[in-house]
This record gives sequence, structure tokens and C-alpha cells, in this order.
Amino acid sequence: MIPSTVPRPPAHVRRTQLFVGALAVAAVVLFVLALLTINWPTWARVQSGLTRNVAPLLNGLVRPDLKTFPLAWRSMWETFHMAVLGTLLGAVLAFPLSFLAAGNLLGGRPFAMPGKALLVGVRTFPEILLAIIFVAAAGPGPTAGIMAMGLHSIGFLGKIFSDVIEGIDAGPTEAIRAAGGGPIQVFLYAVVPQVLPEFASNVLYRFEINLRAAAVLGLVGAGGIGLPLLQRLQFRRWDEVSMLLLVIIAFVVTVDLISSRIRRRLV
Amino acid sequence: MPEPTPLGTPAPRAAGAPRPPLVARLRSYLGLGVVAALAVVAYQSTNFDLASLFTGAADFFSFFGRLAPDWSALRIIWRPLIETMQIAYVGTVLGTSIALPLIFLASANTALDPISMLVARVVLTILRSIPDLLWAALFVTLLAPGALPGIVALTFFTVGVLAKLGSETVESADPGPLEALRAAGAGRNRTIVYAVWPQVAATMTSFILYSFEINVRASVILGFVGAGGIGQLLYTRLNFFDYSGVGAIVAVTFVVVLAVDAVSVWARSKLI
Repeated sequence: MIPSTVPRPPAHVRRTQLFVGALAVAAVVLFVLALLTINWPTWARVQSGLTRNVAPLLNGLVRPDLKTFPLAWRSMWETFHMAVLGTLLGAVLAFPLSFLAAGNLLGGRPFAMPGKALLVGVRTFPEILLAIIFVAAAGPGPTAGIMAMGLHSIGFLGKIFSDVIEGIDAGPTEAIRAAGGGPIQVFLYAVVPQVLPEFASNVLYRFEINLRAAAVLGLVGAGGIGLPLLQRLQFRRWDEVSMLLLVIIAFVVTVDLISSRIRRRLV
Repeated sequence: MPEPTPLGTPAPRAAGAPRPPLVARLRSYLGLGVVAALAVVAYQSTNFDLASLFTGAADFFSFFGRLAPDWSALRIIWRPLIETMQIAYVGTVLGTSIALPLIFLASANTALDPISMLVARVVLTILRSIPDLLWAALFVTLLAPGALPGIVALTFFTVGVLAKLGSETVESADPGPLEALRAAGAGRNRTIVYAVWPQVAATMTSFILYSFEINVRASVILGFVGAGGIGQLLYTRLNFFDYSGVGAIVAVTFVVVLAVDAVSVWARSKLI
């Protein structure tokens, strides 16, 4: 027998391959199980939905209703403004919290645990659920949406901010301390300049996410373009839906482009 | 000969602490100015009331007080909760299988030709700009309420999420192996399988798990627009003002979401 010229992969590679293989098998088994147990609608129902809607949908999508444009434009700007305020609110609140949750500034890891737990807790609640609660508690409108986004963004931004703080170079901190600087000077001249560009970049990234989120918050009455869109979807006014979708897509893509360009310059 | 500085006049700025160049300073002031202006305009146009932040927060927490869980609701939670996980999972798998070929079409180093690359990129950009709940609302209207529109919505959403992350990874793959295989006469498919895939497999798997985590969170709320899962139950309970039932549903859902998250994060940490 001709000996194989390709050497056997080393043990750690084989372990990874085994792990990935097991993962793949588990994935397939779960997929089949899910397909078998899902409560599927009857085919007749789906078929009737499709035959009733697909042709009008395609018809409407290629003929966006121009008369809806002013409404779409206005509600998308409101959506945009909601995202701006929600993101700023989240950033302002996350800033102090992130220092409490960073393990390298205030007396080490154990002291950061409560802050970290708080951030994880906040992040678990989807903003749409928070929006429902704010709408129930404070009435419908953009304010509910802004607060929901702000609260939810704290979790994301606080986590990233604290990761950035934990990753700073200890050199400047020690240098300022060695030169006799107190905690405030260390914070202002060693920590803040190091973390600011990363913070700004992540706030922009969150803004991209929040703009998409703000576009659906209206579905629960929390302001923005979601409500007019949902109404037109329910009445199957596809040409108007098409115009609203076009404006959303144009806005989101433009903001993404500008934001990612600025982010590339920041970091 | 420069004149010596007379005693007593202040020395020029210490050389050790240079000010940042003028352009950089102007740019950061400009950035701050833009943000401030945006905030003011947004504040006025949305009629946002900073005072309502505090009253709203008070209402919010008193509302939370009413969410004291009533555990008898647990009996009806399990089926929709399992459905939620099924929607997330099937959506992720289907989305992944559509996203993978699209990723290779949209990456400059594995594309078929410039035209199909451009088409794939435009399609992916549009997919990515539509949020999950909007997909769900669209497909509930188009198909029928239930798990099916949820799955289809998450499929589309996953394609958008994964394609963005994935094509960046594919494009940053080391070109050496690609060139070697091409030089040896391998076609596009073999180049992808033997030169690109081994380089990106671990990262890609981790991205797939990551989009599964996103989908699990998304699937919780899809029911708000009628797309199946626990969200539907949650929405009905909310509309009936059954806040203690809502409390129980929210509590159980988040324990399950966190548990799934933990497993996925653990698997990801094993990969990279």
C-alpha cells in the first residue's frame, strides 16, 4: 500500500473537526425535527393567500403611488429624528454605566459585576416590547419609541463601551498617575482620549441599527413610519406600501453609506 | 540670529504637549456641531419632552410593578415558546442556505462576472435595509398568519444579516491559495471549496450562530404582527391587560432566550 503523502492533521485540528461535525449533525437533526413538528398552515390557505395577493403585490410594487410620497417623506424624517434622539439618549446613559461595568478602572472585576449584569438585563428586552410598555404607560407617540430605543441601546452601547475601556493601553494611565495626577486627571487625559473615537464609531453603528428599529416601532403605536405602513399593508394598498418601502430603503441605505464612511475615518 | 527670550515672558507651549492639528480640531468641532444641530431639530420635530422622560420612567417602573408573574400562565406558554424557537431555527437554516451562494456571488474575489456581482450586491443591500418585523408584517398579509410567515420573514432577514458579514470575510481571504488553485486550472467552484471555504469556515460558522442569536430574539416579537410564536400570546395577554400573565411569559421567555444565547456564545467561543 502506498503511504499517504498528506500527513494526518494534528490533534487539536482533529478535535475541532469532530466538534464541527457534531454541530452539523445536531443541526440537521434539529432542522428535520422542527420541520416535522411545526404547525404548518394548510396548503389551500397558503395558496388562496398567494393567488389573491401576489399579482396585486407585484403590480403595486412596480407602480409606487406618487401621492403617498409626502406622507412617506414626512414619516421617515420623524423616524430618522426618533432614531437620532433614541441613540443619543442611549449613549448619554450608557457612558457613565460603562465605566461602572469595566473591570479595569473601579477596583477590579468583582466591582464591575453588578454593572455588567444590569447591561445584560437591559439588552434582553427587545425595544418593541419596551415600546409597548411605554405606550401603555405614557401614551402613544414618538416619545414612547424614543425612550424604548434609548433604554434598549444602553445595553448594547454600555457593553461595547465597557469592552473598549477594558482594552485601553495602561501606559498613559500610569504615566499620569506617576506624574502626580489624581483620578479625575487620569480619567480626562488618559482614558477619555483613548476611548472616544471607538465610542463615537459604535454610537454611529447603533444609530444604523436604531433607524431600522424606529421604522417598525410604529407597528405598536410608538411613532414613525411603521403605523402608516402597517395600515396600508392591512388594507393591501400595495402601491402605497411600495412608496413607503422605497423611502425606507433609500433612507436606510443612504444613512448606512454615510455612517460607515465616517466610521472608517474614526477608527 | 533669533533674539533670546527675555526672562519673565511665558515660554512657548511645552513641546511635550502638542495641540492636535487645526484641521483635526475643526473636524471634531464640526462633528459635534452637526450632532447638536441634529439633536435640536429632532427634539422639535418629534415633540420630545425631556420632562416626560422622568414621568415616563416613573410610569414605566410602576408598570413593571404590575408585572408580578402569575405562574399559572405557564401551562399555555410552552407550545408557543417551542414554536418561537422552531421559527428562529428553521429561518436561520433556510436563510443560511440562500445566503451562502449569494455571498460568493457578491464578493469581488469569488464573483462570476461583474454584472451578477452588482445584481447580488444590490439585492443584498435592499434585503438588509428592511427590518425583521416589517418582513413579518408583509408575509402575514401575503401568506396566512402563523409560523409560516415568521419563518419566511426570518429567512429573508437572515440572508441580509449574514451576507453583509460573510462577504466582508470572503473578500479579506488570503489571495495566495486562490491564485495557486487558479494557476493549477481549477474552476470557480473548486477554488471556492478548496481555497476560500477552509479560510472562512470558522468565521462563517460563528456568524451563522450569531444570526441565530439575533433570530431567536427577533422571533419572540414576530407574533406582535401575527407571525406566530410567543409574541402572539404576549400581545393577546397585553391587550387583555393581563399583566401578571405577561410577567410570567416575559420571565420564562427571557430565561429561555438567555439559555439559548449562552449555548450559542459558548459554541462560538470554541470556533475562534
